[in-house]
Amino acid sequence: MKYAGLVLANLGRNKLRTALTGGAIMLAVLLVCVLLTMPAGLDAFLNNIASNTRISVHNKAGLVYAMPYAFTRKVRQIDGVAAACAFVWFGGAFEEAGRVTFPNFAVEVEQVGAVYPDYDVPAQQLADFRRYRDGAIVGRQTMRRYGWKIGDRVTLRSTVWPVNLDFRIVGEIPNERSPLLWMNRDYLDEALKAQGRSGLGITTLIWVRAADPDRVNAIMRAVDELSRNSDAETASETEKSFFSSFFGSLKGFVTIILVVTGLVALCIVFIAANTASMGVRERAGELAILKAIGFGRRAIFGTLLAEATVLSMVAGLGGVLLTIALTDALHTFAGWNPSLGPLGAFIVTASVIVQGVFLSLFVGMLAGVVPAFGAARKSVVATLHEVF
Amino acid sequence: MDATPGSGASAPLIQIRDVSRRYVRGVDEVHALEHVSLDIPAGHFVGFMGPSGSGKSTLLNLVSGIDRPSEGEVVVAGQRLNDLSEDELARWRARHVGLIFQFFNLMPVLSARDNVALPLLLTKLDKAERIRRAETALRVVGLEERLDHYPRTLSGGEQQRVAIARAIVTDPDLIVADEPTGDLDARNAEAILDLLRQLRQHFGKTVVMVTHDPRALRFVDDAYHLDKGVLLEGEDAARAREAIRVSAGAGGARPPR
Repeated sequence: MKYAGLVLANLGRNKLRTALTGGAIMLAVLLVCVLLTMPAGLDAFLNNIASNTRISVHNKAGLVYAMPYAFTRKVRQIDGVAAACAFVWFGGAFEEAGRVTFPNFAVEVEQVGAVYPDYDVPAQQLADFRRYRDGAIVGRQTMRRYGWKIGDRVTLRSTVWPVNLDFRIVGEIPNERSPLLWMNRDYLDEALKAQGRSGLGITTLIWVRAADPDRVNAIMRAVDELSRNSDAETASETEKSFFSSFFGSLKGFVTIILVVTGLVALCIVFIAANTASMGVRERAGELAILKAIGFGRRAIFGTLLAEATVLSMVAGLGGVLLTIALTDALHTFAGWNPSLGPLGAFIVTASVIVQGVFLSLFVGMLAGVVPAFGAARKSVVATLHEVF
Repeated sequence: MDATPGSGASAPLIQIRDVSRRYVRGVDEVHALEHVSLDIPAGHFVGFMGPSGSGKSTLLNLVSGIDRPSEGEVVVAGQRLNDLSEDELARWRARHVGLIFQFFNLMPVLSARDNVALPLLLTKLDKAERIRRAETALRVVGLEERLDHYPRTLSGGEQQRVAIARAIVTDPDLIVADEPTGDLDARNAEAILDLLRQLRQHFGKTVVMVTHDPRALRFVDDAYHLDKGVLLEGEDAARAREAIRVSAGAGGARPPR
């Protein structure tokens, strides 16, 4: 500790260079920490939106292929199933946006509340949803995004079905878990029949709620067994698995980014090492004097290494604090902008902080060790001859 | 002034026995010192003089434990320096030697007080004691008003005084000065030489100095002349001494002790 004054004084020798080097390390640590929050953030996001009792059932061939609507009733009869609801993708575009900007499905109004009890839609609103054929229940994010409120009427133009439908908003999913819109399946069915079509005999998805989380696997097996050898064999998966498949490509992207970030961190090591080497070269005369007046190799090595490490650690802590601030800001902003998706779920865990601090320690020590060792190992007389 | 090698009433602090120093520069072997023997008594102010390349700085490095001889033996304050490793020599220098250089070589990022306290970092003294001793040393050299000044705000003479305070702050047996007046004007050079003489007079320090400065002859107890790595003796030394006196016009006058 008695060398702290000397170390700090040397760090203040060239303030601009110290600031620039520190800034580079801080940005690298920020980048690494933000990216390190992504896998955990994705998991947290999925845990937040997904229930451990809900099961997605869809055509084994893919989401664009339908299943017979009648299959829903069969699923409902499987032992352990608390509720099941058929979902049909409507693909409705809000006229102002001109494209599909939030997920919207035609659902069974009698069933949906039982499949999604954790969405906490008020009972009165669910009752209104059943009562009004043109009723719709909308996620809070979407309500806020378009400035809608209960009682408003909106028109969606389907990009899948040849209909435009007017809806009366009768309820709101009172949390941030989903931006989706539910409409009455019968309303869509009648609109199609009114156009001389055969109506809805199919379903895109069946959402199932198990009575007990322990029975989820058995139910999934039973559902898929039930459809085996039919025209529409099914693939069942948990809700978390279903949503995580949407972010599968993002996970691969994260891996690539982490590799690139590792290389960036290595570049920062080289930059910091170069800066430390320049500093040592510039102070060769002073180091020679320190050696001459009795500073041993260990003291010289220790003070030089401490300089690089202190700078890196301070910059690294700055990077970690910036990461916390940035993710907090994203979390706040995501509440207002659903398009940020899982970005708002990225949280800085203790593990990320520890990794960020260790990264900065690693950068500092690696950057400082070579020039410090080089300066320390030379004999005092050789150093004096070099500089005087 | 007595310039006879080995003379003096006190016991020798420095004993140099048949010392040679050779080193390789490129493909050449340089004979920097050849078979030099010399005793320097404790409490003397001694000057090594000679032209560039004469080996005086090499001799100073050997005496101060910065370098080790290729042959022969160097004993300072009872310690045979040949036997010490690089790190042991560093520790020995920290305890026994105060160093002064031509270009002051202060740390620009430290105040005068902190520069002087620098060698005390190698001791077990606490911070308050280190500061107290540094301030005392600065008072000795007349810079008690410049404690918080940084080197860039001090004149050359003041910087060399700070360097002298740094050299004496550990109360070493030996003060070694390499061209301490080489970068100073005449007035400051005289003041520094006088200060070194006072360290010998009032504090009993042994001061060994390398210098080209003919004024130094008026301040030192003994002057040793080297040429081409050889210590001049007898008539050769007298001729070298006379040549310096004539060139300086000093006439051999010396200040009162």
